[in-house]
Amino acid sequence: MSTFRDHLLAITGRELPTIEQLWEMTGFSPNDAQRQAILHVEGPLYLTAGPGSGKTRVLLWRTLNLMVYHGVKAEQIFLSTFTEKAAKQLGDGLRSLLGLVTNLTGQPYDLAGMYLGTVHSLCQRILSDRRRFSPNRQRPRPPTLLDDLGQYFHLYDSQNWEIVASAAGLRPEPEEAVQAVNRLLNDADSGSRHRAVEALRPIFNRFSEELLDPADLRPRLNSLQLDGFTPQNVDFLLALYEGYRHSLQHTRQTDFALLQREAFQVLQEFESAGAVFRHVIVDEYQDTNTIQERIFFRLASGTGNLCVVGDDDQALYRFRGATVENFVQFPARCQTYLAQTPRTIALDINYRSRAHIVQTYNRFMAQTDWRAAEGTTFRVPKTIIPHRADPSPAVLSSAPAAPEDACREIARFVRRLIDEGKVENPNQIAFLYPSLKSEQTRRMIAALEAEGLLVYAPRAGRFLEVDEARDVLGLFLAIFGRPRIEGMGHDLEAYQIYLTRLNERARELQETDPLLKQFVDDRRAEIQRALDDYKALQNVLTHNRWRPEQPYDPAAMKRALAAAPGLSETGRRLVSSVYLDRLVPLRAREGRPLSLEYVIRRATSLDWNLLDLFYQLMGFEHFKAMFDRAERNGDEGAVANLGLLTQYLARFVQERVNVITAALLNDHKFSGMFFGSYLFALFRLEESEREDEENPFPRGRIPFLTIHQAKGLEFPVVVLGNLDKRDRGAPRIERLVRPLLPRPASEPLERMTAFDIARMFYVALSRAQNLLILAHFSGRGQRHHSAFTPLLNEHVTRLADFDLATLPPAAARDETLPRVYSFTADYLLYQKCPRQYMIFRKFGFVPSRSQTMLFGSLVHRTLEDLHHELIRRRAATASPPKKDDR
Amino acid sequence: MTEDPFADVEDFIRQRFEENFQQLTLESGHTLTADVKETALQQVLLYWRKLRHVAERVTDTEVRLSLPNQTSPQGREFTIEGVVDIVRADDQTVMYDIKTHDADYVRANLELYKQQLNVYAHIWQELRGEPLDGMAVIATDFPHAVKDALANPDPLALPAALQAWQPLVPIEYDPAHKDRTLYAFGETVDKIESGEFAPPPLERLNETIPGALTHERFGTRICRQCDARFSCASYRQYARGSRQVGERRMTYFTDDQPDQELWRDAGLSG
Repeated sequence: MSTFRDHLLAITGRELPTIEQLWEMTGFSPNDAQRQAILHVEGPLYLTAGPGSGKTRVLLWRTLNLMVYHGVKAEQIFLSTFTEKAAKQLGDGLRSLLGLVTNLTGQPYDLAGMYLGTVHSLCQRILSDRRRFSPNRQRPRPPTLLDDLGQYFHLYDSQNWEIVASAAGLRPEPEEAVQAVNRLLNDADSGSRHRAVEALRPIFNRFSEELLDPADLRPRLNSLQLDGFTPQNVDFLLALYEGYRHSLQHTRQTDFALLQREAFQVLQEFESAGAVFRHVIVDEYQDTNTIQERIFFRLASGTGNLCVVGDDDQALYRFRGATVENFVQFPARCQTYLAQTPRTIALDINYRSRAHIVQTYNRFMAQTDWRAAEGTTFRVPKTIIPHRADPSPAVLSSAPAAPEDACREIARFVRRLIDEGKVENPNQIAFLYPSLKSEQTRRMIAALEAEGLLVYAPRAGRFLEVDEARDVLGLFLAIFGRPRIEGMGHDLEAYQIYLTRLNERARELQETDPLLKQFVDDRRAEIQRALDDYKALQNVLTHNRWRPEQPYDPAAMKRALAAAPGLSETGRRLVSSVYLDRLVPLRAREGRPLSLEYVIRRATSLDWNLLDLFYQLMGFEHFKAMFDRAERNGDEGAVANLGLLTQYLARFVQERVNVITAALLNDHKFSGMFFGSYLFALFRLEESEREDEENPFPRGRIPFLTIHQAKGLEFPVVVLGNLDKRDRGAPRIERLVRPLLPRPASEPLERMTAFDIARMFYVALSRAQNLLILAHFSGRGQRHHSAFTPLLNEHVTRLADFDLATLPPAAARDETLPRVYSFTADYLLYQKCPRQYMIFRKFGFVPSRSQTMLFGSLVHRTLEDLHHELIRRRAATASPPKKDDR
Repeated sequence: MTEDPFADVEDFIRQRFEENFQQLTLESGHTLTADVKETALQQVLLYWRKLRHVAERVTDTEVRLSLPNQTSPQGREFTIEGVVDIVRADDQTVMYDIKTHDADYVRANLELYKQQLNVYAHIWQELRGEPLDGMAVIATDFPHAVKDALANPDPLALPAALQAWQPLVPIEYDPAHKDRTLYAFGETVDKIESGEFAPPPLERLNETIPGALTHERFGTRICRQCDARFSCASYRQYARGSRQVGERRMTYFTDDQPDQELWRDAGLSG
């Protein structure tokens, strides 16, 4: 260590300050446990980190300690986070601190080589990192990754479904496979492929994550103690899984779960996989699954330097295959895989919440019986100690009352918080729910709106049903017309009602804005124009006995096409375009001559695609007002929703239809593709919550979140809007998978859901900084989780009795990490146009025509590759390096 | 030994370019039209042909410079970050900032670039204590003469056009720039954090951009490329101002899409 510092001193001539001096400079004073964790270097480290215990800072400083004081290079560190947002925060924080060190010592640090990101992105990186993970072999390009929606579309596709179905040992017809899956997994006699696909996806993913091998399991099925499934059932599901994997190979694609499996495979085959990284660090370890655990231990196998950080009480993702036991039993797993005992450090001082809040959730957790056999427990024993010693009440509840009344009381109180300046902005008050798609949520939103408050709840109900989405999609429907959608069932009925409501909405909007009506009519006329021209040009073909696939010969054909009877002025202009004339010989020379059919498609296509249409609609008063409000620090909620909508539209434009041609418009085919297929799928999938939403909470609105979405976040004021979550027993997938696992799981099936519910509420309770408000419903049919009973009876203050003067004002923002602003992407962009900055950078609108951003990234990334390559070649051809070549 | 060891560099560029294109398209959810994509590739290839003597000597590429511990006028803490390339050779260290802008534009708007590079120079030289002998912007957007030469079958046309092209724009070192820029940066951070996002005023849109070809105005060069212009109060005033008054109240706001023909072909053959 000292030699490294000497080295540094020698090359820079400047003294490196001690880490304690750096802490002082940045105003950080770690507690004992934090200090120990930061300074731990060699061997496995087990950090149990309670909520608000400063674990991000510890991770940051520990990484800095490794890099600055122990000579660990960025590319020797593997740091996995739960979300991309967390990775970005850590990266920003590290760059700030390392930048400080660089400026003190002259020693630069570059994080580009560090493996920093989610497990998924790091697995993708392993697969494409030929240099480090298969130095002697060429590996084919990694397959394209399907996200959840992509996986759904893949399985729903009839060709792929056929491959999946025919792989099942019973050799059923595709439709029989649907029936069989629905009987087995949905207890329903249903021919809905949608339902079958939705039931299979989690099972396929789980099979991948548990590393199950059908060939190995199949012969043993009869000897396993199955639970609710026969060996034939399991065999059937395994066969479908094999078919699914086969179908992906067919299209050179992979999904999130298989991506990890493929990365693990590479690590298994690569002998030195354990020596690539000197340090493996994993955040949120309580939410890792089997395959991830194997990957981490494999990567750490050469050094034993595996540091895991987590809190079993905050485990939330069993439904995605996570196993909290990976964390609870980490010391034993270290013995198994590394033959070492980890150092355990508990970070249990909470810096986030006022004392009353911390006492409340400690007490809440004590209500559940966590005992296991022989004096052990299913929970890492802990008591969180509040750092903020303020004794005044901070946990409140509404008076026990019928939900309407309780919601009204809470809404009035929230109104007061805002009016009396206890929060800077309404977005500092978060409403948390086990699920947003509930009556309780709707009731609460209505109560807040009755107080004149705006909420931001794009995931309460379907995203497609938020006002802004309905407005835009309704106008799309008015322009393209409603398609006939084949099929039957509840989903379709609900969707038809939705489409009818869209139509009504579009009519209202057009009635209030005659210019908008004119716009819609003009677009409809353009569609009709394209269709008529299509017919007119087809007639010319028929008349001349030309075939569509024939090469286009302007000399012989142009005049006839342009003179087609009934052809519109626009059509004539497009057929006789100078640009087209120039294109013909160009394409002929490239060996891709233009066909007659291409020329017709070109002449009968619209000038705009769905995204263009979206941006044009934004110019009408109804939408423009939304932007005007957001521009001048008003309500940003509507614009945030519009930004989300562009992401769905861009996906359709990118993957399905870009330029809209008459051939597609015929018979409402296009409308069928957009409304009948794409949007209907989104509607049915109900937009499962995305906890890693990157978009910020818009100013001016009160956010509504699921507890899952609130993971890792904190708010000055938190309202827990529903204290009830029924225990319906272990999910079927757990019963299916458990007997197939090589290692017996420890949490008993009959208790695990109770554990999970307690953990979920714990996460909710621990998000609050200054004030936690519980909605106390009473009366017929109202109940709450039993662990809340003693709290509500004696531990909380009623809203009516609370003295608002005791509440400290909310801090402006999270002060733990300074934000990093890029000179070009932030400062110069804002200087150019603040509005562009808001729309494209802050709210992530996907541009339609503008190509500047992608253009710049593409040129810069390629130039960087070029420079790296030139540096590499120079190093390879240079004479043996001199001792001092600086 | 006389064979050029860098003969295959252009193939390398083409291959990496294609890979990066695929990946960025996936990440961003949108794509480039064929002609724009081709222009991007040409910028990299021509950079290599024209500035090979610089490219070959780059010692540190995409160096991230950061300036931590900044405080805005309203008391927000932040860090500034920028990326440059460094060439150390013959006892000289030169800092390059590669921009996809054209050199005439850079020369005409030198002030902007001076601000930026002087902040970077401050970080590099004063904070890091590294030597610095010069700074320059590399403007990769090639002039029309080069573009025409690319299409010209005469093999001598391109070398001649490249010869005349001056993509390197030296930037002078002036510490006074740094302080002003840092203050303006802090103000910008405050505006971003407090939600001020109004577009530039009409006067700004009417300004002619120095160095822009054919005396383009801000509203044409910048705003007309922006998809959000239909809902932008400033742009609508700008666009309407240049049209006949008669059509004002009769119809809704509309605006042509630039490069419509190119867009159509890129979308149809894609």
